[in-house]
Amino acid sequence: MGFEKDMNNAQERARKVKLFGHDIHGTLTANNVIVDIEGNRQYGFWHMDGFGDLSLTANDIKIAFLDTTSIDGEGLFRAKELKLDKLYFSITDKAAKLDELVKEFNISYDDVGFLGCEVSDIPIMRKVGFGVATADARDEVKALASYITTNQGGRGAMREVCEFILRAMGKWDGWVEKVTKMGYK
Amino acid sequence: MAIAKADAIEKAKKIKFVILDIHGIMTDNTLFYTQDGVKSEAFSLHDRMGIKALMDEGIGVSFLTTKISRADEQMAKIYGLPLENLWGQGAKMARVDQFEQETGYKDEEICYAGDEMIDLAVMKRSGFSVAPADGSQEARGIADYITSAGGGKGVVRELAQFILEAQGKWDNFLGEFK
Repeated sequence: MGFEKDMNNAQERARKVKLFGHDIHGTLTANNVIVDIEGNRQYGFWHMDGFGDLSLTANDIKIAFLDTTSIDGEGLFRAKELKLDKLYFSITDKAAKLDELVKEFNISYDDVGFLGCEVSDIPIMRKVGFGVATADARDEVKALASYITTNQGGRGAMREVCEFILRAMGKWDGWVEKVTKMGYK
Repeated sequence: MAIAKADAIEKAKKIKFVILDIHGIMTDNTLFYTQDGVKSEAFSLHDRMGIKALMDEGIGVSFLTTKISRADEQMAKIYGLPLENLWGQGAKMARVDQFEQETGYKDEEICYAGDEMIDLAVMKRSGFSVAPADGSQEARGIADYITSAGGGKGVVRELAQFILEAQGKWDNFLGEFK
């Protein structure tokens, strides 16, 4: 609502991405927790978002699986399932961790993408070259984004942005062909 | 779209304490049962940010529902709510009376968010009342503010921002993330 984005600009920015970051709740999940009468917790992730993360790493784009919002380590469970635990960081300051990774990989913030949803993502959204907001992100985050997904957090937003990046790079069709032939792990 | 009725901002300015109904506010009213009869509910984590914002800016928060379950206790922990602010009582008016006697807070300093018949009396007496987009017609009819979110989709997150913006405290809260 009221956030028209320039698709050419978004594609141009997406093309540069070498590192893509996201948090857990509100982006990979619908930002809720299912609690039973004994107090046991469950967290819902979107199956095909995992394919999104894997599509990026398979195409030499690094993931920063930043986790400031997990309650029971659900972010790590998910990262491990996707074999991304080396790129998973349980932290309190995600902006500082991203600073560290940018230095470590010797890249600039123009090469960084990030999927955000809440006001806590504002500092990162201001810095990165390719900021993306989920369809149900806060207005402040959408205002800063170069691209807004049509899917909500926990409903395929990550899968969508990964496809957008690889299409912008001209790598999507080749990747789909490869996956079709070989499958993926 | 959220709907703010007449004087909603003026009313929100006076709020010092927020009382929240749980079911239909932090949940969407869905109850899941396993094949063994174990019941679950989905609680919003958008509201974790809302409750944090209120408490960080000096506004107290409590939950008021007929009976406190272990799920509610678990969520109080996750939301960072003190356990003594979990109030399980069917007579909601009496519980608010007791709270006002104990603390000296007045009706106009209390915000109440509810969605159903049992909430109407407390909504009417409270200074600033909130109903979710999918609350009952009666609750939406008397609420000062109707959130754009339905229950379980960030009602408390939204009412927190509305109150803090009315009080000029929202930017201070955002400062935590700079």
